[in-house]
Amino acid sequence: MLKGHLDAIVLAALEAGPAHGYAIIETIKSRSAGAFDLPEGTVYPALHRLEQAGLLSSAWTPPPGGRRRRVYSLTKAGTAALAEKRKAWGRFSQAVQTSLGGGRAWPA
Amino acid sequence: MAGVIDDYVAALRRELDFDPPLAQRLASEVEDHLRDAAEADPAWPSADAERRAVGRFGLAREIAAQFAADAVDRQARRAWVTLGVTVIVTFVAMRLRVMWLDDNAMAALAPLIDRYAFIAALAVGVVGWFAFRRSFMTQAICLGGLVASVGAGIVRADLFAQGAPVHVLVAAAAEVALLGLLAFHVVGLGRRLRRTASLRR
Repeated sequence: MLKGHLDAIVLAALEAGPAHGYAIIETIKSRSAGAFDLPEGTVYPALHRLEQAGLLSSAWTPPPGGRRRRVYSLTKAGTAALAEKRKAWGRFSQAVQTSLGGGRAWPA
Repeated sequence: MAGVIDDYVAALRRELDFDPPLAQRLASEVEDHLRDAAEADPAWPSADAERRAVGRFGLAREIAAQFAADAVDRQARRAWVTLGVTVIVTFVAMRLRVMWLDDNAMAALAPLIDRYAFIAALAVGVVGWFAFRRSFMTQAICLGGLVASVGAGIVRADLFAQGAPVHVLVAAAAEVALLGLLAFHVVGLGRRLRRTASLRR
């Protein structure tokens, strides 16, 4: 189930600013309080897919006194896609919540 | 002596052999990730810290399989776009040939193959677009139909022997070039599908 939403979760993790793969995984883990315990490598196919789709851009950056890292950032299209995915998720989750009997009537 | 991370990165590189530039890029990226993860482990520096970092990362084969599946989708898209353009160009070239030819001069079999192989390719393509977008077989059948149609069209018009107008020859050349490109993409799709299947075994 998580896999179907991984692209949106990765986009959201990059909303605060550019980050490399390891930092993205750490953000996802901390935001979900460890609930999203997916293999860390899973994020790389998602990053590559999103970059191919033009939703992310990436570049190698040499950090001062450290290893060089490939850093990803949201593109304009990525920001728009994230907003769209948020709306779609909001509608979907509300509908499920209502169907399960725990929320207000849908559509609101 | 190579460490756990080095071995893992080498294995990942091997599994990604279907896309050497991706393998090269990802090897550096994953190595950075694993070294960050190992250094964050309380047992660092040790082989155990590296092993735990690799364990959390997931199996190289499974990660390569995800990349391979994405590669299949991209290759299928390329093949479909090429197929669409080829169908349009073939149709236009066919019409140009018919307009140029004297209908009475046509041989019996070639026009039938020209027309019905094209229609068959179009029909299979339409069904495939709606139901079998990642299918190698659909693309291969369409390619076969179009090759038969274009071949029959060239024979029908006897383009090599008669003094055909330039626009008819240019259209035929475009058809043949697009068929070559389509064949290249269809073969690529088959190769990527086989690689994905082998990674998932």
